This record gives sequence, C-alpha cells and structure tokens, in this order.
Amino acid sequence: MVLSTLVLFFYLDNLLRGEVEEELFSTQARIVTSLENGMPPQTLPPEFEVTKVSELAPQVLKDTIIFDPLQNEMEEFREVTSFKSIKGQTYKITVRNLIVESEDILSAVILSYIVIILAVLSFLFFFNKRRNQRIWQPFFSNIQAMQRFTLSSAEPIDLMESDILEFSELNHEIETLTRKVRADYLNLKSYTEDVSHEMQTPLSIIQAKIEGMMNTDGLSDIQFENLTSIQKDLQRLVQMNKRLALLTKIENRQFSRLEKIDVAGLLKKQIENFNEISEASFVLNANNGVHPTMDPYLAEVLCTNLLSNALKYNEHNKIIRVELVDSRLSVSNSGDHGIVHPEKLFTRFYRESNAQKSTGIGLAIVKRICELYGFTVSYEFSDGNHIFSVIFG
Amino acid sequence: MKFLIAEDEIDLQQSMVRYLQSDGNICEVASDFDEALYKIDLYNYDLVILDINLITGSGLDVLKQLKFEKKEAGVIIISANNSLDEKLKGLDLGADDYITKPFHLAELNSRVKAVLRRVKFGGDERIEFHEISIDTKSRTVYVNDSALSLTKKEYDLLLFFVTNQGRVLSKEIIAEHLWGDNSDLLDNFDFIYVHINNLRKKLTQEGAKYIKTAYGSGYKFIAD
Repeated sequence: MVLSTLVLFFYLDNLLRGEVEEELFSTQARIVTSLENGMPPQTLPPEFEVTKVSELAPQVLKDTIIFDPLQNEMEEFREVTSFKSIKGQTYKITVRNLIVESEDILSAVILSYIVIILAVLSFLFFFNKRRNQRIWQPFFSNIQAMQRFTLSSAEPIDLMESDILEFSELNHEIETLTRKVRADYLNLKSYTEDVSHEMQTPLSIIQAKIEGMMNTDGLSDIQFENLTSIQKDLQRLVQMNKRLALLTKIENRQFSRLEKIDVAGLLKKQIENFNEISEASFVLNANNGVHPTMDPYLAEVLCTNLLSNALKYNEHNKIIRVELVDSRLSVSNSGDHGIVHPEKLFTRFYRESNAQKSTGIGLAIVKRICELYGFTVSYEFSDGNHIFSVIFG
Repeated sequence: MKFLIAEDEIDLQQSMVRYLQSDGNICEVASDFDEALYKIDLYNYDLVILDINLITGSGLDVLKQLKFEKKEAGVIIISANNSLDEKLKGLDLGADDYITKPFHLAELNSRVKAVLRRVKFGGDERIEFHEISIDTKSRTVYVNDSALSLTKKEYDLLLFFVTNQGRVLSKEIIAEHLWGDNSDLLDNFDFIYVHINNLRKKLTQEGAKYIKTAYGSGYKFIAD
C-alpha cells in the first residue's frame, strides 16, 4: 500500500506537471499566433512577458520562485522561455504558470487516498474480527468442553457444531476418542474386580486340596511342614486378593450404606480382639468424639487396617497408642526411624521393608476410604513414633 | 446325615465330599443348576451346601425353590465374593449361613455342624465327646459334669476341635477360625500355642487328654 501511495504520488505529480506544461506551451503558442497576426507584444508578469531581443537562444523550461503580490508570498512557478523570430523581429517569450494549485490538488488527493485506506483498513479489521469470533467460537467452546470432560462421569462430551469442515471433522474425532477412552476406562475398572473374582475359585481349590492332603495317612513330619508352609503362602495370596477386590469395590463406589458410626466403640471392640493375639498392648484414649456418617463395613476396615498396620511395624513389646479426640483419630507405634518416602506411603504395594509379610494394600485402602468421605489421613514421625492420623469430616 | 453339595467346580466339590464324608455323612453332588433343582425336588437332605454361582443358574434360585417346596434342610451358601448384598439376599431368602471362597474345609465343617445343630435340634444341642459335654446354647463346657471355666477363644477352640475331631488341623487353619482376616498378623503363631496349651491344661486337669500334636506342628483332637 505504501508502494502504491508512492507510485500514485509520482504519477499524479507527473500528470500535473504535464498539464501545467501543456498549458504553458498552449499559452506560448497563442502568444506566437497573436504576434504573427500583428498584435503588439503584451507583458503581464508574471504570467507572460514578451520582449524584443536581438538573438535567438534555445528554449528553457524550468521552475522559478517569484514573489506574488496577490498572495503576498513567494510562489513556485513553472516557466518556459523561448525565442521566436516573427516577421523579422526576434522575440523572447516567457510564459509562467503557478504550480501551487497543482500541488494542493496533489496533496488533497494523497490525503484522501490515505483516509480511504485507513477507513478501509479499520472496517476490514472490525469486520474480520467479528467474523473470526463467530468462526472460532465453536472451537473455543469445544476446548472448554474438553477441559470439563472427565472419564468417570457417564455424560458424553457435548461439542458445538460448526459449518467449517475442519472443525466438524475435529469434533467427530474428539467424540470418537472420548467414547473409546471411556469404554477402555470402564473396562479397566472392572478388570481388577473380575480378575480377583476369578482368582478365588482356583485359590479355593488349591486350599481344599492341601487340606485334603494334610488329612491323608502316612505323611511324614516334613511333608506336613511343607503343606502348612504352603498354606501360609496361600493365605497371603488369598488376603492380597481379598484386599485388592475391596480396594476396587471402594473405588467403584460399591459401598453406599450410610450410618452414624460409633468410632470409639468400634475401636474398643477391635482392640480387645487384637490384644488377644499380640504381644503389644493397645492403649485406647477416646472421648466420645465424633460419629462420622459412613458405611459401617468400611468403618471397620478403616480402623482394623490402621491398628494392624501399627501392630505389624511396632517395635517389640512397646505400647501402641490409639487416641480419638473429637474428630481426630491417631494411632502411634514406635519405630526407630521415620518412613523415608512418606508421600508414597499410601500407594498400593508400597513397602519400605520386606521384613513384614504385609500385602502393602492396607494403607491404600485407608486412603481410599478417606477420599470417599472427604476425611484426611496423614502420617508423621515424631519422638520415635510413627503417627497415623485420620480427621473425620 | 445326608448332604447335597451343589458346586460346579468339580475339584472343589470332590474335596468337600471327601472331607465331609469322613464323619460318616452321605454326600451327594450336583454339578450344575438343573441337577441341583432336580435333586432337591426328588430327595430330602439334612443340609444343602449351595454355591451361588452355578454355571447355568444362580444358587439363590435353588434356595428359593427349596423354600417353596418347604423342604426342611439347613442351607449354607458359598459365594466367591464378599458382597454384602448377596449375603443379605441369601440370608433373607432363608439360608442359615454364608461362607466365602476360599475357605478351609475344617471351617466349612464347623459351620455345617453349627447349622445342623440349629436346624435339627433347635440350637439346644449338647455335643458329647466321651466325658466332655458342650452346651452350645449356654456356651458352657462340662467334663464329667463339672463345669470348665474357659475364655471365649478357648471355648471356640474346643468347639472347633470337637467338631473336627479326628482331623489334622494346622496352626493356619486354627488361626483362621479364631481370628479370621487378622490371622495374618500372627507371624509366629505363638499365641496359638498359648491358647491351645491353656485349653489342653484345663482339659488334662480333668483327665480329658484329647488334644494331640500331629506331625510336630499340627493338632488332632482324638481319643486314643
């Protein structure tokens, strides 16, 4: 556009100059004609001057600046001076024309041109801006829909349609993708449950056969030992399977009963049970505290897992402290050093020592239960004690 | 006693038959839904052990049919998962007990005997084993008519031994029975020793020496 402005400028300039020169020569020709017709030489400076001279000289075409009394300032003129021999007399004919006017026209044209360009540009700008907004709006709205999309909800993604082919294709692909991902996700969710369900039958068969073998006559002591050892390992497998199934069920929200749970009473009962099988002693300190609303089975699991975890990792013969104060439950057992990676503590199968035959799922279950009801569970190591706390509600 | 075992996993089915048979019970089997329906219709059993998932149908429907025909059998349901809903449904439909796979056969045996006591004798049965007499309703144990003072776990243990008399019981199995899921915390089973020894002492004091060790680390409750 700048280029065309320049081009226009020089073109117009040339044009105007041409016009001026044409006028000059036209006036000059008229003067020559009137001289040839015997009219006396006229002089009207600065427009034209005719004087008698003695010699011919070549024509001169140039710009000059002359003071114009009419406008009271210096003005630019285009002047042509030519020498003609008419009826035996040599005349010097000088014709001048104002360029000012031409320059005014020139700048007026340029200015209008510029104004028009600006106007067109702004119009185009706003017009395009609005049109773009309209075109891209479905696109941005769909980006938001994608951000809102979650695998776990059952709602299909709601995409805005567009006339534009590319966007329409994109929509189609997004819908297909989200459908597929969701189907895979649901499939995967039920996978763990299905697997653990399936495992139970072969596990039962193995267990039954081992027990059958134990009751056959003529076993040696060593054979019996081996069988009981297998039973123990089998038991571990069975427990792991049960816990995994439980974890999956919790994640699939299969526990939906809600009751007010007397946590203090639950803890008391469980501790009685534990005190029978452990060398450690549990000490319970509970004010009548909170009665959170949750599934009673999950409440039992939560408490049992915390208590048995403390029992497993407790140092020999030390006391395990269980405190329930208002809505905070804390279980502390002694240990010689804190967990190295506490942030991993509640992930499935995480263990920091292989010494204990734990399944590694107990704490993951605790965490999942807490997440389900909006409770918080945390771990800290202080004063030589591992302390697990759950805040209900 | 006559039992029907409805279980489509043949290996498991046969293991159960062998175990329960050794007490002198007659064990018949059904390997699928239709066979189960057919047999309960045709015969009378003292106890029916029903797997909920029979390949061709649900054990619960067999149960419904059993009740519909007003058969007087005790029912124990076997389920593969711990679903509370199924448990409740089964119990609501009239099952007497519920056991989850995988289970110890000795455990099943205990449950079978308990159900039989309830169904056949209104829960009032006394179990007699030589000079030991157990009143299951009041949960008291008499040896030669003098009452023994037993803790809850010792009582459960004795009952378990008596109902599984003559069978080899490993510490695993005993632990499972007494403490269920928490038995995996007993990593050295010292406490089993403690409870068994305490029970043994109390019995031996009265001259009832039936708790024998088997293969060094197992136990058998048997008369000489």
